[in-house]
Amino acid sequence: MARIALFDPCYLGAIRSRDAEHALRILRALGDEPELIDGRCCGQPAFNSGFRPEARDAGRQLLKAAQPYDVVVAASGSCVSMVTHYLPALFEGRRAEGAGRIAGRFHEFASYVAHHPNVERLGLRLEGTVALHDSCHGRRELGITGDVLALLGRVQGLEVRRLAFEDECCGFGGSFAVKLPEISVALMTAKLADVAASGARVLVSADFSCLAHIESGARGMGVTLETWTIAELLSRALE
Amino acid sequence: MSAYRERAAREIREQRPGATVTPIMRGLVADSARMLARGRPGAAERAAAARAHAVANLESLHAQLRESFGRQRVGYHRAATAEEAVATVRRLLGDARRVAKSKTMVGEEVGLTHALRAAGLDVLETDIGEYIVDVEGRGPSHITAPALHLDRSRIRTLLARTGADLPDDDPVRLSRYVRDVVGAYFQDCDAGITGANAVVASSGRVMVVENEGNVSLGVSHPRLHVAITGLEKVVADEAAALAILEVLAPSATAQPLTSFSHFLAGPMPGQERHVVFVDNGRSAIAADARYRDVLKCIRCGACMNGCPVYRAAGGLSYQSPYMGPIGAVISPLLWPDGRFADLPFASSLCGRCTEACPVGIPLHRMLLDLRAGAVERHEVAGRAERLAWRTWAIAFGGATRARAVSAAARIGLRSGGRLFRPNGTGDDPRTLPDPAPTRDPANLRPAAAAPPSQPVVQPESVPDSLAELFRVRAAALGVEVVEKCPARKGDRLLTAAAGVASTGSALLTGEQAARRPLLAAKRVVVELDPANLVRYPGDLEPYLGEGDALILTGASRTADIEKQIVRGIHGSEELVVVLRGEEAMPRLLSSEA
Repeated sequence: MARIALFDPCYLGAIRSRDAEHALRILRALGDEPELIDGRCCGQPAFNSGFRPEARDAGRQLLKAAQPYDVVVAASGSCVSMVTHYLPALFEGRRAEGAGRIAGRFHEFASYVAHHPNVERLGLRLEGTVALHDSCHGRRELGITGDVLALLGRVQGLEVRRLAFEDECCGFGGSFAVKLPEISVALMTAKLADVAASGARVLVSADFSCLAHIESGARGMGVTLETWTIAELLSRALE
Repeated sequence: MSAYRERAAREIREQRPGATVTPIMRGLVADSARMLARGRPGAAERAAAARAHAVANLESLHAQLRESFGRQRVGYHRAATAEEAVATVRRLLGDARRVAKSKTMVGEEVGLTHALRAAGLDVLETDIGEYIVDVEGRGPSHITAPALHLDRSRIRTLLARTGADLPDDDPVRLSRYVRDVVGAYFQDCDAGITGANAVVASSGRVMVVENEGNVSLGVSHPRLHVAITGLEKVVADEAAALAILEVLAPSATAQPLTSFSHFLAGPMPGQERHVVFVDNGRSAIAADARYRDVLKCIRCGACMNGCPVYRAAGGLSYQSPYMGPIGAVISPLLWPDGRFADLPFASSLCGRCTEACPVGIPLHRMLLDLRAGAVERHEVAGRAERLAWRTWAIAFGGATRARAVSAAARIGLRSGGRLFRPNGTGDDPRTLPDPAPTRDPANLRPAAAAPPSQPVVQPESVPDSLAELFRVRAAALGVEVVEKCPARKGDRLLTAAAGVASTGSALLTGEQAARRPLLAAKRVVVELDPANLVRYPGDLEPYLGEGDALILTGASRTADIEKQIVRGIHGSEELVVVLRGEEAMPRLLSSEA
C-alpha cells in the first residue's frame, strides 16, 4: 500500500489547528492510512517576498519530511502550487532533480479526494447552502476548479452557490496583504460584497489562506460569515 | 512604506479609481473573451509564435528590414537610448514647427512630447484620450485608454480650462469637441508622429492600428511622417503581422479589429517617411533568458484590464509610462536604476495577467523573479525585514522550532487578534482570524435567495456562407451592407481587394487606400466581390499586394471617454459596403480554397 502523508501547512497549523483532523478523518474514510507532516513550511511567504535562500531553507525541511512518502496531500492549494511549480527551481543540479521528484508527489486535498478510487464510498450529506471561493492558485496554477465542484456535487442536500466574480482575487497574496494594505483591503471589500450578493453565510474554499483573509475582513467589519475549508465541509458532511 | 504604496494609497483615498475602472473593466474583460472566442481557433498560439520568432531573430530581421526600407524609400534609424531617440526625431523634424502626434507608448517612454516642446516645437496630442490627459498633466493611466481614470464631468471641467464652452458632459459632445480641435490643427502642420504596432521585415511595411482616424491624418496630411517604436516590434512577414492583428484588438478593446489597420509602404510623392527604432535597454532584455519573453508584448493592455491591483489603485500610481502587470515587469527592466524596484510587488500574484496575455508572457512569474532580484540588489527591504526573514528561515529550519512558533501564534491570535491592524493605523478594518471559530448550524441557511444567475451566453450560430457572416458582423459595427447603392454627392466610391467575413472588414490596396480623400468623404461606399471574402484577417495575406494597404473595420470611432463608443470621429460615420448577391457569383475563393 502506498505510504501517504497529510501535510498540515504552517499557517493552517497556527491559525486553524483543528483543520488537519478534518482532513485526516476524510482520508481514513477513504481507506488511506495517513501520517501527519507538521511543523514545516513550503517556503512561499519568503519566496513571494523575494527572499529565495530563506524560502529554500524552509522548503528543504518540508521535502525532507515528505521524502519517505509516495503521496503527500495538503489542504492548501497555495502550498501545493509553491511546492510543485516553484520550490524545485530553488535548488541546483541534481538537488533540483531530487526536489522535483518529491514535489511531484504533492496533491491538493480536494483534487486528491475527487480522484480517489474509493470516493464513491464516502457517504456525504449536509443540508444547507454555501458559496464557493475559487482561489487563484487553485483555479489558475493548479486548475482544480472542476475537481472541487465535482466533489461538492457529491454532498447530498448541499446547495453550492458560485460568486458572480469568482475569478477575482480576494486581496490576500501573502505579504501583499501587509505590504500594500490599502489595495488588499479594497479587493477584500469587493470580495465580501460578492459573497454577500450570493446570499450564503458559509464560504468554502480549497485555500484557507484566502478564507483567513476574507474572514479577517468580515470579523473586523461585523459581517456574519463562516469560512470552511473543503476538508471541514466534507468532515461535517460525512455520515 | 514603499513609494508605490504611498502613491497607491493616496490615489485610493483621493480619486477612488476603482469606482470608475472596476465596472468598466469587468465588462471589457467579458467582451474581450467573447470576441476572442469567435476568432480563429488557435489565434493566440499563432500570434505568440509570430512574436517569439521576432524576439529570437531581432538582429537578422533588422538587417532584412533595412534593405526592405531601402526599396520602399523609408528611412531606417536606430537609437540606443531615450536621449538618442529624442535627438534623432528632432533631427528628422528639421525645420518643422507644428507637429501632430498620435499615440505612441515608446514616445511616452522617451519623453518625446515634453522634449520637443522644450525645444520650442508646437506639439499637439491628436488622440482624444491623450489630448485630455495632456490637458490634465498627470499622464496616461492606461496604454490603450489614456483617460480611463477620468469620468465625463471631470473631462468637461478639464476641457473648459482650455477655453471650451460645453453645455453638458455628453461623451459624444466632448469627443467631437476634441476631434474638431485636432482636425483644425491638421489643416496646418508640418509633421506627423505615430507609433507602430509591427514593422514587416520582408516587405518594409509599417503596421499601425487606430480607431479615430488621427493616425490616418498624421500619415497622409503633413509632408513628413516619423514613426517611433521599440526595437522588438519588427516581425518576419505579413503573415506574422496579421497573426498579431487577430488578437490585438479583441484583447485590447473587445473589437474584432480596430477601425483602421494600416500597412504603410513607401511615402507618397513629395512626402517623407522615417521609422526610429528605440533600443533603450531592449537588447539587454533580449539577452536575458528570464525576461526575454516580455519583448513578445503587443501592448494590448489585457493584463491590466484584468488586474485587480491595477483596477483598485489605477494606472497613475505606477508613475511609469507602462502600468499594470506589464508595467510592473517592464519598468524596472527598462529603467534598471532602482526607481521602479517596488513595482513588481504591486501584485497579489493571482496570475490573472498571465492568463489574459494573448501572446503567452508568464507575467506573474517574471514578477517573482524581479522581486528576488530587487532584494538581492538591496533595492527593496530594509534591515528589519531582512532580519525577520532570516529569523523565520531559522524557525522553519527545524520542526520543533516551527511547532513552537505555531503555538505562540495561536496564543497570540487568541489574545491579540482583534487588536492587530496590519497597516498600523486605525483605518484597516481587518482583524486576525479566530483560531477556534464557533460554528452555528443556522448559518447554513442562506440569508437570501440565490441571485438570478447571469444569462448564459449561447455560442453564436455562425452562418454557413462567408457573405452571410460578413453581413452579420459588418452590421454589428454599424456598417450598411447592401446589394446596390445609388450614388450621392460627396461619396467616395472604392473597390475592395478583399473582405474579412468574421470581422466585417474591407481591404483597400494601392490608390484605393489613399487616406486624404477617404477621410474627406461625406460617405464611403466600398464595393466588395463576395468571391474575395476570406474568413479571418490572417487569410488576407495573398490580397495585400506590395504597396500601401488599409483594412477598414467599421467607421472611425473613439471610446476614450468612459469607454462609451462614439462613431464618426475623423472621417465619415457612414460606411456602406456593396456586396453583390451571392447566387450570381461563382464561389471560387474562400479561406478553405
